[in-house]
Amino acid sequence: MENLFFGYVAPCLCAFLACVGFTFMFNIHGAGKLIAGAGGALGWLVYLLAGSSIFAAFLAAAAIGFFSEIMSRVRLCPVTGYVLVALLPLVPGGGIYYAMRHCVAGETNQFLSSLLHTFGMAAALAVGAMLASSVFRAVFRRRK
Amino acid sequence: MDYEKLLNMAAELGYQLMYSGAEIYRVEESVRRLLHAYGLPSPEVFAIPNCIIVSVSTPDGHPITRMRRVPAHGTDIELLERCNSLCRRLCTETPPLDEAQALIFALPEAIPRHSPHWVLLGYGLAPAFFAPLFGGGLRDTAASFLCGLAVGFCLIYGRRFIGANSFFRTALCSALAALLAMLLAAAGVGRNVDVVTISALMVLVPGMALTNAMREIMAGDTFSGLSRTADAILTASAIALGAAAGQAAGSFF
Repeated sequence: MENLFFGYVAPCLCAFLACVGFTFMFNIHGAGKLIAGAGGALGWLVYLLAGSSIFAAFLAAAAIGFFSEIMSRVRLCPVTGYVLVALLPLVPGGGIYYAMRHCVAGETNQFLSSLLHTFGMAAALAVGAMLASSVFRAVFRRRK
Repeated sequence: MDYEKLLNMAAELGYQLMYSGAEIYRVEESVRRLLHAYGLPSPEVFAIPNCIIVSVSTPDGHPITRMRRVPAHGTDIELLERCNSLCRRLCTETPPLDEAQALIFALPEAIPRHSPHWVLLGYGLAPAFFAPLFGGGLRDTAASFLCGLAVGFCLIYGRRFIGANSFFRTALCSALAALLAMLLAAAGVGRNVDVVTISALMVLVPGMALTNAMREIMAGDTFSGLSRTADAILTASAIALGAAAGQAAGSFF
């Protein structure tokens, strides 16, 4: 029980609150705040469940994409805001930082590997989110 | 119909959309639909991240063009949502030009904004809750909160002093965050310098440029996608450079 709380519930709650913090910077008001936060929590949950790898980031981004597309259809709002904020916890800030540390320390091999990992994460996020919205658009259009 | 007025109105809507951080295809599509709704059969709209060109041909064959330069801007989702719903409304109702124009020009003033204190709090909160995600404890959370506040303070109130150059601004804020993280760790507030620095840097990370870049590329706007990708890479290098400088300065103490 305790494992479940510290392993999954607490991190998702943190992701939720961090995303809500970001909504102040992007001027999101009202229910949008909660939707963006919930997207962030969902994304982080999927990321944890799938094993915190690059592929996990891809799955998480896809989950965020689907969730945000559904919410934007429900609220008749552009999807941009929700996807943008919800993806932020997954953006490889740590990768940039560690790549810099290795570069400064002259550890070329580790620098290159963390740089590649950073690019991998970024690409996985972008492709995952895009996949969701492309699939959604195709399905939605056909139904019409 | 006064086509020049219509063109001005459409260009203004495009400008507002662009300024709120909308994707290129959304800007082009919205302006095109608006002009279409007002009875122009084939309006031409071309947008790149900092410029929008709208060109129409009046029924008597007279071409008119309007170009708007879009300055550097952030992301304002509330403005984006309002532009979007206003555009939808104008396209279905097509009210008289004067009325529509008044509605569009009134948009930016009517947007509710968080007061600077709340935005500053947001800058503190986001890093504070990132710290546990990256494996930090309670003390790291407190230190990240302070670093985030410092970065936010620098960005909100210090814009006059650090200039409008986004590369320099990001590098400076990143250096400040890294330096402060080291100082706080030395003072015993934070425990893990890496975690605190990364958490504070998350507010500067180019997540927005990156996701938008991919959306543009997938939507077929390769040019805008490339320019936004370059923007994301530049911001990331600014963060890395700044953090390196900050840590170098911190190691002197």
